[in-house]
Amino acid sequence: MTRVIEVPPHFDDRNFDQFAAGFGTWPPEEKILIDARGAQWASPYGLLGLITAGQALAEAKRERPLLTVPLNEDVKRYWVRAGFFRYAAELFELHGRVPKPLATGPSDVLLDVTPVRASEDVHSVVDKISQSASRILHGELGLELKATLRFSMALSEACQNIVEHAGTSGWVAVQAYTFRRRLGRRVVVIAVSDAGIGFLRSLESTHAKRFGERWGDGAALEAALIQGVSRFRDPGRGQGLAFIKRFLDQWRGKISIRSGTARLAIVPPWDEDVPLSEHLPFFPGAQVQIIIPAQDAEA
Amino acid sequence: MIETIRVGHLLRETVAAPYRNLVTRPTGAAVRTRIEAALAASNCLTALLDFSGIELLDLSCADEIVAKLLLADADRPLRYVVLQGLREDQHEAIDHVLTHHRLVAAVLSGNGGPRLLGWASGDARAAFGCVCDRGQLSVIDLAIALGWSEERARDALDDLTRHRLLRAEGELYYPLPIT
Repeated sequence: MTRVIEVPPHFDDRNFDQFAAGFGTWPPEEKILIDARGAQWASPYGLLGLITAGQALAEAKRERPLLTVPLNEDVKRYWVRAGFFRYAAELFELHGRVPKPLATGPSDVLLDVTPVRASEDVHSVVDKISQSASRILHGELGLELKATLRFSMALSEACQNIVEHAGTSGWVAVQAYTFRRRLGRRVVVIAVSDAGIGFLRSLESTHAKRFGERWGDGAALEAALIQGVSRFRDPGRGQGLAFIKRFLDQWRGKISIRSGTARLAIVPPWDEDVPLSEHLPFFPGAQVQIIIPAQDAEA
Repeated sequence: MIETIRVGHLLRETVAAPYRNLVTRPTGAAVRTRIEAALAASNCLTALLDFSGIELLDLSCADEIVAKLLLADADRPLRYVVLQGLREDQHEAIDHVLTHHRLVAAVLSGNGGPRLLGWASGDARAAFGCVCDRGQLSVIDLAIALGWSEERARDALDDLTRHRLLRAEGELYYPLPIT
């Protein structure tokens, strides 16, 4: 029997739970078919969610899942440009025609879907993004020049969380686009995702006791993002997320982290998200999204 | 004697690639090991860690290099560690990690004398600035200069000496030996 999971037409963090629910009990027993034929658009968070699902199924030694590619040619081309199919082809049995990548000039894709397996990958990611980040953050979003370096620091720290804590590899992608409905402005979005052990298991041995009965995915996220704790006893650990949070506050940005069955967000005034969602459908590993909006003239 | 350690050179030797970004903990730890080896082979009184040529310094590297070096140095014979060649965002990263560990370091900026980064009280900062501006001072000199009690001046100077930010000799407190 095959379980069919439909990709929402506009796939991003807001309907990710619908996608996660499609897998049922994890890991699913049935063969999985992810149906992206109706996809009209996907955020970097959505694209990494698809890739992460493929990775998690492979690591759970499940049968290779199927993925039907979007029917819309523009969508397909955008997914090609975002580097999605390069890795999707390794993780899924693809059904449908995938266009060949075309050489293009500067685009809204600041960083293709990129694997993060080791520290060297973090070096490459930071190296690769520095020029395009300046063009978009300073040139388009109106952030001060030094914001580019802070942005790269945030990216570096977010990617290192995979290497240090996930227990497996992960993915990163960065894109700029316009938040028409939510904000009416350009934003840069960093998405980082892994299929690893998640925050709960990462922090359990060192922090579960302190939380008692409250311990769960939500409490683990709160410990990491709000209290800045880490599984390492080294007192220098746990500063990365605190630093990201501080600068996002300055830029009116947003960070949300989903892990297991919970999602925690630091919500800026322009967004209507809830800070903590629990009892969500399970999804493996951790998914981080960082949104940096264009600064208004007053700022 | 002053030993200048060019962190950018050590980075390139460590990663064997032309990277200008100091990122990730393993890289930071490897660079710190090289700095410690260079210092172990030197009998310098002051180590100038020169960050010029470094593009990005993330928190993990700032923690591994600067904070851990200072933490380890506290148990070693007297030596002064001073930072130079830092850009504004690098100041922020180092300030953040030093404050986290309740550490403090002196940094040389292009325009002006040394300043403190990290966990330092207002009194410590004022006393440090005064000694850097005026040169060697006694407790009474500082108390008069800043309109403080002797006890307050002594506390501030002793605090700076304990953190290896001033050099005490007899009744006098000297600026860091950086020239």
